[in-house]
Amino acid sequence: MSRVDDPHRPRLGPGSRLTIRREGGLAHFPGLAAPRCIEGDKCTPGQRRWLERLLGEVLEGGAVEASRTQAEGQPSGADRRVFRLAIDEPGEAAGGGADDTLPPRWTLIVDETRAPGSLVTLWRHGELGEEP
Amino acid sequence: MARPDDTLSRPGFTPPYILERLREHGSPRQRRCAEATLTHDHSFRALRGPQAAERLPAASAPGRPARYIYTAEHRETLPGRLVREEGQPGIDDPAVEEAYRWLGATYRFFWEVFERHSIDAEGMPLIGTVHFGQDYDNAFWNGTQMVFGDGDGELFRRFTVAIDVVAHELAHGVTERESGLVYAGQSGALNESLSDVFGSLVKQFHRGERAAQADWLIGAELLTEAVQGRALRSMAEPGSAFDDPVLGRDPQPGHMDQFVVTQADNGGVHINSGIPNRAFYLAAQALDGYAWEVAGRVWYATLRDPRLSPDIDFAGFAALTVDNADRRHGRQSREEQAVRDAWRAVGVMP
Ligand SMILES: [Zn+2]
Repeated sequence: MSRVDDPHRPRLGPGSRLTIRREGGLAHFPGLAAPRCIEGDKCTPGQRRWLERLLGEVLEGGAVEASRTQAEGQPSGADRRVFRLAIDEPGEAAGGGADDTLPPRWTLIVDETRAPGSLVTLWRHGELGEEP
Repeated sequence: MARPDDTLSRPGFTPPYILERLREHGSPRQRRCAEATLTHDHSFRALRGPQAAERLPAASAPGRPARYIYTAEHRETLPGRLVREEGQPGIDDPAVEEAYRWLGATYRFFWEVFERHSIDAEGMPLIGTVHFGQDYDNAFWNGTQMVFGDGDGELFRRFTVAIDVVAHELAHGVTERESGLVYAGQSGALNESLSDVFGSLVKQFHRGERAAQADWLIGAELLTEAVQGRALRSMAEPGSAFDDPVLGRDPQPGHMDQFVVTQADNGGVHINSGIPNRAFYLAAQALDGYAWEVAGRVWYATLRDPRLSPDIDFAGFAALTVDNADRRHGRQSREEQAVRDAWRAVGVMP
């Protein structure tokens, strides 16, 4: 399934950073909310392709792009848990350091009951696949 | 939003969320549970089936609930298999029995106190699914029904065990139907707070407790002995419910001075709800008696007030509660004063 020209297709370069957070649920527990970060320059090109394909799968599986408003991306209901995925380019900020005041370039929210198993495994274990 | 703890400790990754924590701090059972939750099937899980409510009798007679309890049989498909419906005898499954019982207690509260006939005020069936997922640590309202996990058994017990948690989820349905409060930011925190308010009131009503006798805790039965904490939240003392090596520390503020600005949790809906929670607690304490009789009715009237906009903020909601207290009890009444003082005490009103 090639969707190279799709502008919404998530792209991960060597300078990209993918952040995965699990949020929501009946209560907020700070100890369970630590984000997982994947730095593009620490991945092989094959691992980045694998991640791009996974993100494309998440998008096609019913996730919502949350770039416009915060409320728009939420699944209906309350106390649901979601994965929030964000790609930013830390190196793009002035001075080359990570400017965390910049909004991420791409954000996606997916209900945890609709998340592919490989995303759950990635978030829990940090297990990356690799594409040729 | 990235913080220093976002940085890497081994190639490509931050320390993973809970698994490592459980490996470091956890018991053998916790470690097994952490592994068991990984046995998700590696494909997309089933998307929602037909909306359960559409396949059921639409309504019950006023004053009577229509409860339908399903089991997901540890999968994540909703609503699952029907195991007990209204009027049928009980079965040998504590989660099913608790869901049936607490949904009934919540229905009875809304009917006897507010003359409200179920979630939509028209007798909508109360649909609950238990045994959702594997060791699933959550309960939620999906827009149609309530869903309860069994918990992992080490940090959390099954989510049906607490009457106020079951009532909290049902109340989300009521709030959704009445106000459509946007589930983000301050309106989302008000949405959360209303579920805690009605959740706690259902518990107090069921137990026959006056405001001064109530514990004002949410989900006190949910945390196991292994957790250093007494509940999910405290309405009386937000921020004091738990302080645990795995769960972290209760992040709820009880005053606008400590309002938390965050992207997480839909803009902190389960965090900043501590502020309106405490306002309700203070109003109920000041008025004494049964909390549902005066403070509960003022909050319910506010929820149904046509002036309540879906994106209302704390200050707007507070002004409406004062106005509803005024309408019901008179300007400068003891009741109006108690509500106003409560919002002042948490820094929402000047
Ligand atoms: Zn809630």
